[in-house]
Amino acid sequence: MRDRPDGLALAAMADAASTEVACALVERARAIAARERAAGAAPLEACRGALVAIYGEGEFEALLRRLARDIRAGVYDAPGPPRETVRGLLWAMTRQKLSESNPDYLRAAGIV
Amino acid sequence: MVSAKFDVAAVERLGRHLAVRTGAVRVVVSELRRLPHGSVQENWQLRADFEGGVLAGRQHLVLRTNAATRLSESRDKASEFAIMRMVHDAGVTVPEPILCCTDPTVIGESFLLMRWMPGSAEGGAIVDRLPVASRELIAARLAQELATLHAIHPPPAELAMLGPPPRDAAQQRVAEMAQALERRDDPYPVAEWAVRWLIRHAPPPSAPVLCHRDFRTGNYLVDGDRFTALLDWEFAGWSDPAEDIGWFCLGCWRFGAREREAGGLVPRDIFLRAYEAASGTPVDRDRLRFWEVLAALRWLVIALEQRDRCLIGGEASLDLALTGRRPAECELEILMLTEAA
Repeated sequence: MRDRPDGLALAAMADAASTEVACALVERARAIAARERAAGAAPLEACRGALVAIYGEGEFEALLRRLARDIRAGVYDAPGPPRETVRGLLWAMTRQKLSESNPDYLRAAGIV
Repeated sequence: MVSAKFDVAAVERLGRHLAVRTGAVRVVVSELRRLPHGSVQENWQLRADFEGGVLAGRQHLVLRTNAATRLSESRDKASEFAIMRMVHDAGVTVPEPILCCTDPTVIGESFLLMRWMPGSAEGGAIVDRLPVASRELIAARLAQELATLHAIHPPPAELAMLGPPPRDAAQQRVAEMAQALERRDDPYPVAEWAVRWLIRHAPPPSAPVLCHRDFRTGNYLVDGDRFTALLDWEFAGWSDPAEDIGWFCLGCWRFGAREREAGGLVPRDIFLRAYEAASGTPVDRDRLRFWEVLAALRWLVIALEQRDRCLIGGEASLDLALTGRRPAECELEILMLTEAA
């Protein structure tokens, strides 16, 4: 669910960055790493739980891949509870990703 | 002046090449400094003294070349140069293109040379620091520039390298984005949500025009409070004019000023009215929404490509790595835009 590079990798890059790299970039990388560390595995577990509720047990990446494939195939085009469930999951995933990667963007959009 | 890209020998070869191309007896390059603008391309400020020839005297120029790795949509330097010359001659305000060199023995790769123009393209500063009146003037000027660009219709012979215009730009772009996602190992459910929405809401084809395809705050120069030039023509091609407007209005390019939907400068309707007045063509708001969703999806795909330059291509850049965390911004835009439709 989380975009790459993950917080650990970003923090390592920030630590290794030369003095020519803008401070703002280094700080941003460290802030993402800190927020990701604070959130821990709970967001991934919540997302996996939502996917299991839709598809049944399975490995996280495989479930996410199936969701993407089904959306492309038009499985959730029709109005109704399945579409609403998926829509809610997409919103939850996006909110969570942005709360770690760029909470200011979320706030500016009026979503908290 | 010496750098990894330009050692002493390369600078000397560059001087000799410029002399041959401009009819000068001798060209002495006195300054070559990387400019901050550009993450896909590198722009180098170049000062040189030309002894004779068509550029006789001291010249202040910009040398533009590829970064270590490039994006799939990027055009080659010869095409970018031809586009710049075409739009310059058509009256769009761009740095005057001087020459293009495709001989890799000069500096190691192709480059184009254009006249230096004053100003900064830093989007955050333009959006944050300029007063309302200046932002309105710049927005009106951008609308005029865009209308001038969109008055170029296919097929001018000078732009044969662009290939034939798409019969249906909307359908073609959706197919390109869908294929780009299929080539990836990681799943992107929100991007797929956008693909489905775009398929179901595709507008009827429109007459293609020349589009910039990266028309946004951050890609034009502002000197003080004055627009000076439109930059970065590497993605230009035939398309629906609404593609440029949708890209310009995308939330990701407002630099935090969300309520000013037109590039973080002014409310959307002000820009659209200025464009309509300049072009004489009404902007269909539903068509524009389609292109805005497409813009969010395209920026997501490009951000992933930018990230790959670091994770796969080996470019050690924290900036590129952080771009890998920007798809979430595009995903939010996709969900908000498709919700409202």
